[in-house]
Amino acid sequence: MKQYVLKRLLNIIPIMLVVSIIVFMFIHLIPGDPARIVAGQKATLEEIEIMREKLGLNDPYIVQYKNFMVGVFSGNWGTSIKSNLPVWNVIVPRIKPTLILAIFSIIWSVVAGISMGVISAIKRGKLIDYIVMVGATSGISVPLFWLGLMLMQIFSVKLGWFPTTGVDSFSSYVLPSITLGAGITAMIARYTRSSMIEILKENYIRTSRAKGLHEFMVINKHALRNSLVDVITIVGLQFGFLLAGSVLVETVFAIPGLGRLLIDSILFRDYTVVQTVLLIFTFQFIIINLIVDVLYGIANPKIRYE
Amino acid sequence: MKKIVVLFMVILMTFSFVSCTNDTKQEETAANVEPNQENTEGKSEDVNMTIAVNAEIISLDPHNLSDTLSGSAADTMYESLYDYKLDMSLEPVLATGYSVSEDGLEYTFNIREGVTFHDGTELNAEAVKYNFDRVMDEEKNLRRRRNFLYVNSTEVIDEYTILIKLDSPFAPMINRIASLSVISPTALEEYGDQGILTNPVGTGPYTFEEWTPGDKMVVRANPNYWKEGPKIDTLTFKPVTENGARIAMLQTGEADYIYPMPTEQVKTVESDENIKVIEGPSTIARFTFLNMTKDIFSDVKVRQAINHAINKEAYAKVVKSGYAVPLTSHVPTTIEYQSPQPEYEYNVEKAKELMKEAGYPDGFATHIWAPNDTENMKGMQFISQQLAEIGIDVEVIPMEEGTLSDSIYSPQTPEESEVNMWYVSWSAFDIDGATTRLFHSSNIPPTSPNVSYYMSDEADKLMDAGATEVDPVKRAEIYAELQEVIWNDAPWIFLGSDVLLSAKRATTEGIFVDPSGGIIATEASTTK
Amino acid sequence: MKEIQYEDFKIESPFREFSRKFLKKKSAVISLAFLVFLLILVVFQPTPYDISAIDYDNILCEPNSDHLFGTDEYGRDVLSRIITGTRISLSVAIIAVTIGAIIGSILGIIAGYYGGLLESLIMRSCDVLFSFPGLLLAIGIVAIIGPGLTNVVIAISIYGIPTFTRIIRSSTLSIKELLYIEASKSIGVSDMRLLFKHIFPGTLPSLIVSYTMRMGTAIISAASLSFLGFGASPKNPDWGAMLSTGRDYIGVAPHMLFYPGLMIFLTVLAFNLLGDGLRDTLDPKLD
Repeated sequence: MKQYVLKRLLNIIPIMLVVSIIVFMFIHLIPGDPARIVAGQKATLEEIEIMREKLGLNDPYIVQYKNFMVGVFSGNWGTSIKSNLPVWNVIVPRIKPTLILAIFSIIWSVVAGISMGVISAIKRGKLIDYIVMVGATSGISVPLFWLGLMLMQIFSVKLGWFPTTGVDSFSSYVLPSITLGAGITAMIARYTRSSMIEILKENYIRTSRAKGLHEFMVINKHALRNSLVDVITIVGLQFGFLLAGSVLVETVFAIPGLGRLLIDSILFRDYTVVQTVLLIFTFQFIIINLIVDVLYGIANPKIRYE
Repeated sequence: MKKIVVLFMVILMTFSFVSCTNDTKQEETAANVEPNQENTEGKSEDVNMTIAVNAEIISLDPHNLSDTLSGSAADTMYESLYDYKLDMSLEPVLATGYSVSEDGLEYTFNIREGVTFHDGTELNAEAVKYNFDRVMDEEKNLRRRRNFLYVNSTEVIDEYTILIKLDSPFAPMINRIASLSVISPTALEEYGDQGILTNPVGTGPYTFEEWTPGDKMVVRANPNYWKEGPKIDTLTFKPVTENGARIAMLQTGEADYIYPMPTEQVKTVESDENIKVIEGPSTIARFTFLNMTKDIFSDVKVRQAINHAINKEAYAKVVKSGYAVPLTSHVPTTIEYQSPQPEYEYNVEKAKELMKEAGYPDGFATHIWAPNDTENMKGMQFISQQLAEIGIDVEVIPMEEGTLSDSIYSPQTPEESEVNMWYVSWSAFDIDGATTRLFHSSNIPPTSPNVSYYMSDEADKLMDAGATEVDPVKRAEIYAELQEVIWNDAPWIFLGSDVLLSAKRATTEGIFVDPSGGIIATEASTTK
Repeated sequence: MKEIQYEDFKIESPFREFSRKFLKKKSAVISLAFLVFLLILVVFQPTPYDISAIDYDNILCEPNSDHLFGTDEYGRDVLSRIITGTRISLSVAIIAVTIGAIIGSILGIIAGYYGGLLESLIMRSCDVLFSFPGLLLAIGIVAIIGPGLTNVVIAISIYGIPTFTRIIRSSTLSIKELLYIEASKSIGVSDMRLLFKHIFPGTLPSLIVSYTMRMGTAIISAASLSFLGFGASPKNPDWGAMLSTGRDYIGVAPHMLFYPGLMIFLTVLAFNLLGDGLRDTLDPKLD
């Protein structure tokens, strides 16, 4: 186990290197000159040239990449091209909103998703199963931004229950989290259901039932515990979905988070910020995947690590 | 078990986030731009007003910004020697008057006495000079430097008098010199060029409170303001890019003022008694460049035919939801020296006739470029629909803004250029700014956006003459002639000039939008 | 239908059994009917109006007897545009998912069957692709190669590859462990034959299910790209593009936002429910 984790950790290094190259190429391959965008339409050619020189955009790509990597390792992440602030000062205030949004969404998805899945599995084939499952499937099928706008129209504008936008209070996060979590709730519900059905068929469940164990205990102790393995995998795999979804949800609800920062910075060709945010996103994603795999092992000791 | 595992996961995820947050905390400099939680609690009794805007504030350094919105935000804290009033005339602010030498090379300004910066520093000629030196520094390459390229040197005459010398006479100079915001020299020394971004110190009606880049900026009323100021405690600028969300904020009262008010949605708030929609003229011209080096657009008849084929009223109605007025020259009527030209009346038959004369009885195929936001796409589609009537098949090509500017400016010669039509807008304070960059033959890409590749000796001469002529009467004559030449050559499709729309709660007073789209909140007050 | 026959051959359960089981899944049957209905729309295009017929005097009309779904900002009939949009949205999704499925399955089978360095290489590349959260990869690709339908297709295909690779690899792995594969191998059946005759058909159930599910994702991704301004040309009545225009008119002409959104929602829902039904029918053990 220890060895496995160590191996996986070492594995991160080559992946991150490749990722850093892709991230670098990605932003530099997009047509568009940050110097010109930053300087604005009314800039003079001389002004743009000085800026290009200052930003190091005239250096060969390999030199720019080297500078980027040196910066990453020395902790000097550079200055935002767009705002002229240190990159960290741009990014740090953006972490909290995205984090809260992600956690809220995950919590409600896990709670709602598992409950829906379990109910559905127990009542398999009954009407309630159909309703819950069609409801859950709807959650994955609805375009996030559309759901967000509709929720905002109904609950903020018409009913006035929640603030429309912003992050000034926790109630501001309610609608965005519902929107963002809808898809994951649905995923979790579906996977919980199918793995529960699977497990309920297994011999040992039948045995426990035969032994006269209370149905609740059977479900809670044996079935659910085993289906959690799948649920963990899904939550982990869906984390990417969550971050990508945060781009859309943050746009709709005007939440100043990392997702929107990324889109804005891509549009502005703010190379330094885009590189850093993408690195954070991917690094965290890889780490979470690792954690998921380890948890997978803890929840299901049958799995051996090679 | 279920709960434990879930909890464990959440904790781990939180941890992985927080651990990267922690590292970063050490990196933060003195310029702390995080919102301060404790402070917000104590402020609950303050009267706050919120202005919701459609983009984020990019910079608060008034010498190093190029977008109107950042300018508006910075202007709550900074002031300049002279400023534009709502009717675009100049009004003295930190200066009390100025004089120009006869040769138009020396400008002398009298600085207002008794004004102090927010940090207590006195405003005097020395402080103004310090700002001129900063903005003109080639090494720093600040974005406002472009306005001062003609300035040779500045000189302190006495405590409250400053002399500015130009290399050559330049008529619109007063507009540009006067618009320089004055930053406290003490603060600049203390915080440096980067630190001043997050520690703005000016003389304006508000002092800096907090700014979270990408989120809100809060300023507080300046108790020591040198004239009558705002009647509120704090003012918040909040970027809300989604149009529907911005309106929703106004409807719920979370915002006191929104700009821009999306033209499409005026109907939704019309019946709401708590909301007032405000219209105002603008300096924004909307038009389409026709690349004259392309065969299809080289004949003036084709360009005139296109102008006749576009229904300008329908343009205003369909694309701007009625909130635009037709252009009567290449500059809107809000610009000084504008002189109205006879309209290109909407006449499809006449347009077809002109096309036939030009040798294109069956039209031709071409394409149009613009950024990929919905408003620009609407404009492009409209043009495409209208030109289909005279047989011109226009392919609509929306491009992401950065890509678009690359496609426009990377060709080094007119031959390499692939642009046919570019649907765009332009806004400037004076007629020189609204003309030279767009029509002078020296300003074709990659230098500047003369994307029509309009190269007319006659127009060039008039532009040069207008820029150096100091006598207003003669200037007016020159510019009238220039406008006629450009109008008849039709290097553009002349479409319209925006009517600026903002909206406020009925309780809001004292917030305005000037014709350039700048928000003025000097005298903000509310009865809420 | 083709896949189904293939399926029969492999699992050797008659087509009748499949349909008997499938017909029991009411939601899947209804979904299939809905998708067939969409297919009819795609083929016959029964649009009441010309989709580019502009009428500046009747812009943003609410739904009425002339225009069942109302008109848009140029006075064009929304219903007609949605019908035409079905063709665009579905073709984008089908082409993109097919490309992603083909490349992804090939990589997945290779990785699962051969293992070793090749597997590490393929799976690590997938990790790299996966480490760009979801849509961001598609956004990045479109940003580089420019907007437009073709590029949206390319972006969504690439973004679908790793999903298929992973799923197919894991089902290849489980099939490989089956006894008869070992047996065939030991009697010297060639790799190619094994792969195509035995392993690939074995992965089909999961492939069909993920293909169907992926259709939904692709439609939503295309719409999201359009929403963020990276999508199709506005002249095309693509659902996502209509939605993105419609949101400007949310308070004034909600029908412009509501109907295209509803169409996307229903179509994706149908694909997902169908996918569920297929999964249950094809292999109840599959998860």
